[in-house]
Formats: sequence, C-alpha cells, structure tokens
Amino acid sequence: MSILIDQSTRLLVQGITGREGRFHTEQMLEYGTNIVAGVTPGKGGMNIQGIPVYNTVQEAMRRHEVNASILFVPPYHMYNGAQEAILTGVPLVITIAEGVPVFDMFRLYHLARSRNVRLIGPNSFGIISPGKSKAGFMAHRIFSPGKVALLSRSATNAYEAVFNMTNQGIGQSTVIGVGGDMIAGSSFVDLLPLLESDNETEVIVLIGEIGGNEEELAAEYIAQHITKPVIAFIAGKNAPPNRSMGHAGAIVSPNGEGGAANKEKALKAAGVHIAETTYQISELAQQLLNR
Amino acid sequence: MKLLEYQAHQLFAEFHLPAREGSVVSSMEELEGLASTYRCYPAVLKAQVPTGGRGKAGGVKIVNNAQELLEKGKAIFNLTISGYPVKQVFIYSFLEIRQEMYLSIMMNRSSKQPVLIFCAEGGMEINEIALKNPDKIIRLPILPDSGIQKFHVQYIADYSGIPEYADRLFDLISGLYTLFCERNCELAEINPLAISEEGNLVCLDGKIITDDNAIHKHPLFDYWRSEAETDPLILDARSWKFLYIPVSESGNIGVISNGSGMLMSSIDLIEQKGMKVSSVLDLGGGATAERICEAVRIMTQNPKTQLLFVNIFGGITRCDEVAQGIVEAVNRGYAPGKFVLRLEGTLKEEGVAIAGGLSVPVAFADNLVDGVTRIKEMFES
Repeated sequence: MSILIDQSTRLLVQGITGREGRFHTEQMLEYGTNIVAGVTPGKGGMNIQGIPVYNTVQEAMRRHEVNASILFVPPYHMYNGAQEAILTGVPLVITIAEGVPVFDMFRLYHLARSRNVRLIGPNSFGIISPGKSKAGFMAHRIFSPGKVALLSRSATNAYEAVFNMTNQGIGQSTVIGVGGDMIAGSSFVDLLPLLESDNETEVIVLIGEIGGNEEELAAEYIAQHITKPVIAFIAGKNAPPNRSMGHAGAIVSPNGEGGAANKEKALKAAGVHIAETTYQISELAQQLLNR
Repeated sequence: MKLLEYQAHQLFAEFHLPAREGSVVSSMEELEGLASTYRCYPAVLKAQVPTGGRGKAGGVKIVNNAQELLEKGKAIFNLTISGYPVKQVFIYSFLEIRQEMYLSIMMNRSSKQPVLIFCAEGGMEINEIALKNPDKIIRLPILPDSGIQKFHVQYIADYSGIPEYADRLFDLISGLYTLFCERNCELAEINPLAISEEGNLVCLDGKIITDDNAIHKHPLFDYWRSEAETDPLILDARSWKFLYIPVSESGNIGVISNGSGMLMSSIDLIEQKGMKVSSVLDLGGGATAERICEAVRIMTQNPKTQLLFVNIFGGITRCDEVAQGIVEAVNRGYAPGKFVLRLEGTLKEEGVAIAGGLSVPVAFADNLVDGVTRIKEMFES
C-alpha cells in the first residue's frame, strides 16, 4: 500500500513545458512515475520526454485515464490551473508553488471540498511513495521504501529527517509535503486517517512548525482515532516573535499564539513522542519499529 | 504587511467607504507648512506607527489651534512607540460622535475562510470587547460563492439595535469585503466605526494587514513596504530574492540555508547548545555560485556575525557551485572570521576540495546536528 500515490497513479503534469516542469518531468519519469500527459495552454501537440502535451486538462482527460495532477506553474497562475483540474474532475491535485496568495487558497480549498477533490499544498515538495512513484520535486535518492510515513510543513526539515532515516536503514511508506502556507489544501488531520488505515505504515512522523493550530488539531485527532505510534518534531522554538520566518504560515503572534510550547504540550498529552531534533526522529522511529 | 492608519484610510476612500479625509506630514517642516493654512480645528493628530496602543503612549492628541498643532505635533514626532520611531503624523478634523462600533473581516486560519466580526460597542481592542461584551459580538463566516449578502447585514443591524442603518451598513460592509478580496488582505478592521452626531457612519481608525504572498500584485504595497523598511540588509537581500531575518542582537552566528524549515531548526539547535544566532538568510531556490557569493556578502555586512554556517541541502544542489561562491566572496573581502559548511548533494568531494583551500578557518559537517557541533568546536578552539 502507501497512500495517495503508487504504481497505479497516472499523473498529469500541468505546466509541463516550463523550465521546472520539464526538468521535474524528467526526474519523475526516471523514478518510475507513470506520467500520462502534460498540459500547457497554447502548447498542445508538443511532446516532452515522449509525453503528449495538451492545451486543456479536459482534452488530456478525454485521451488518458488521469487520476492525479501536479502543477509546476508560477504562484499567481496556480489558482487558474488548480481550478481547471478540480472542475474537470481530477481526484488528486498537487500544488507546489511557493508564494500563492492566501485568498486564492481560500477559494481553492472550498472548491476542492465541494467537489470531493483531494488538494495537496501549496508551498509543498509534493508526495513520494518510495520505490513506487513520486509527484513532486524532492531529490528522490535520499528516500527508501519502508514502514514510516512522514507528513511535513517544511521541505528542508523533511529532507533532513528522511536523509537520516535512510542512512540508518529506516525506510518510508509515503512522505507528503503538506506545505508551509497559512491555508493548506490538506493538513495533518486530513491525512492522518489515511495513514491509520494504510497497512504498510507502522509509524507516523509529523514535522510541524510554529504558527497556526494544525498540530493542536492533529493532537486532538490522534488522541481519539490513531492507534499507530506517532512521532512529532516542531521547528521554530527560538524564532524571533512576530516575524514571519519565510513560510507564510510560520509566525508566532506577540501573545504567544502559534508557539511551539503549546503544540508540543498538546501532542505529548495525546501520547505522541516528541523528537528534539530531526536526527532524533530516526532514533525514535527505530525504537518504535522494534517494539 | 501591516499598513499604517493613513494608508488604510486611503484604501477605504478608494473603495468608497466613509473614510476620514486628512493630511499626512513626514517632518516638522511639513507640519509647519500645514499649520500656516490649516483651518479645521479642533483636529486630531495621530502618530503613524504599525502597532497598537498609540493613545496610551501619547501618540494621539486633539489640538485647537496652530500653536497646539505645532507643540503637540513636535511631541509626537519625538516619540518611539513599541520600538517604532514616529516618522509620519496623520491629521484630520475632530468629529463629535454618538456611538463607537467595531467591524472587521479577517482570514481565519482554522476554518480557512474570512470571518466578519461586528460589535455595536467598539473603540477598544477586539480582545477587550470579547471580555466585556461577549454577547454583543457577531461572527459571520464567509464562503467564496455567497460572499456578503443583504440578509447577513440586516441581521447584524437588527441584533445591534440599529435597524435603520441596515442599508448603509450593507454598502459599507460590501465595500470592505471587496477591498479585502481585491487587495489580498489578511485583516481589514475599522475600529471604531462611528455614528456621528449627524447620524452618519464614519471610519475613524483603520487597520489593514495585507498578504505578503500577493505583494507583487499591488505595486503600491510594495512601495509602502520598502518605504517602511529601515534595515538596509533586508532590502539588499530582497533585491536578490533572498529573505534576510535578523534574529538576536546578542548573537554572533549567521546561518545561510535554502529553506525556512531548515533555518528554524538551525536556530533551535544552536540555541539549545547555548550559542546565539545573529541573523539568517533563506536563499530560496537556485544555489548558484553567484547567489551564494551575494548571500555571504550580505551576511558579513552584519558586524556581529563572527561565524557563518552555510547549510544547503536539496539533494540536487551542486556542492562545487556552493564552494566556488564562498571562495569568490572571500576573495572579494567578504568573510566572517570562520565558516562551517554542510555540503550535501552532487559533486561533494569537489566542493570540499575547493572550499578546503579557503584562507579563513573552515570546518565541514555531514548534517545539521554535526554542523552545530562543529560551530561549538570552532568557537572553543
């Protein structure tokens, strides 16, 4: 198993003719991802790495059995591209762009909900089910197949954690970038139920950070519904207050709201194992897998 | 970005809300120029700083003549409020009012939608209102398709005991929501929203927070942001599409990385080991030699920084490029005392060989934890 993507994923790449789109199409193909089509308005009829390009998602859907789409488009065009995918009926839409306006995400979030579409990102590295498929821009050589699932608000912290895990011989079932923005298409609580029922996942890792209350909501959900062991790491304990740390979502207000201490407290109370460093995630995962 | 009050009034006027028409002065000379012709006494002087508590800090004064205007204006210009020196003062004619109310639209992170908040009693912070008059606050979640409807506002007006204002309130709230949407706001607050003695609705104060992700859609906001930014390093970094963040006045370690998450973890780990970070720089994408060189240059402009920790890890980063960029910066004279480098990616050996030839002390690390250990060693040796 694994969640959201695997060998049965038939991926559409929106923005396939752009510099990033081309490069990562090549990288994803190299990893074994089944990319069936690409879309760039006005570039229909082209071929990128042998992948046919269409003007619209609808045309691509008519010719191919697409079941997921990833968007390599600039942040201000993301709304239109994702809307097209959602309205055309792609069940899984992965957005990676950094710098998408919150208002655009507000509209997309509710649109995706109303159409029963799973939206991932933005400001995300995508999804990888190691050894099976990847839809994203992560450097896949640091990943390895295994039993630990990881959800992360930060790309670099996820890479660091995964790199350590792989070096210690701990593989991953699915790794998802939930993204670092204020509004995420899917947050921890939306994805936890899938991991609970995934028979390949034995341990769940959450990489959170300051800002918002996704970790607190996750803690509440874990306490009630998750039987698998969960490890959490929270970044930004020493970040200067009231200053956005680059991720639009990572900000602690002057009254301490969104701070790391609250999040760790809530997670601990829910029985979650807290890692002090990304490195310690591997140690905890090893102990929990051996149990 | 938090806008100044006069900027909020400017936007209110643009969206046909009943804003206060006033003047902004940026110096005593400008204030003197204004005082020689000003006739609308009594007038209100307000310090323009992006923080609350201006009244308590003496940043809001009522004046009755030109002499008071100059005296009190000068006093306000001399203030520093919550760390912000007053650089601009907003002046408008005083208005007798009958009632102060609270109105705002804010993006609610948890419910992932804007929420309209209204209270028939205003003039204080919303937290205080919530404590004092919890029953009078109306919270209305907004959905993308429906927006603000007439029935919403009719309910608000009836509940608040001002049914005769329903139509005018609808125009005002619709305008505020249009502003909120079109100008990518995270918060648009009118507090107080007043009813004047003549019975008109008036925006007496405004607070707007805009979405930094959308700033390039709004050149005026971009201009206001550069105008307000006083740290030249932040501006320098911005021109290279880097994000430079000062962290601690007492820090002496600079960190360069290619992701916010990694920067936050670096700060956490360094402080855990009893050391302090002076500033951090997020490269964003593209670790080319030229960009690395510029990033090192900017970081070494902070005189407190004695050691630079360069931690770039994306898996496909070219380590030789990173190392060349650092060598180039050092050759141009931009070097802190020491370097700790974490090179991970392709051509790692080449990178280590290139950076190994640096004329300043350098240590290499295999991961973040290792890097922080090396930093400690370098300071102790």
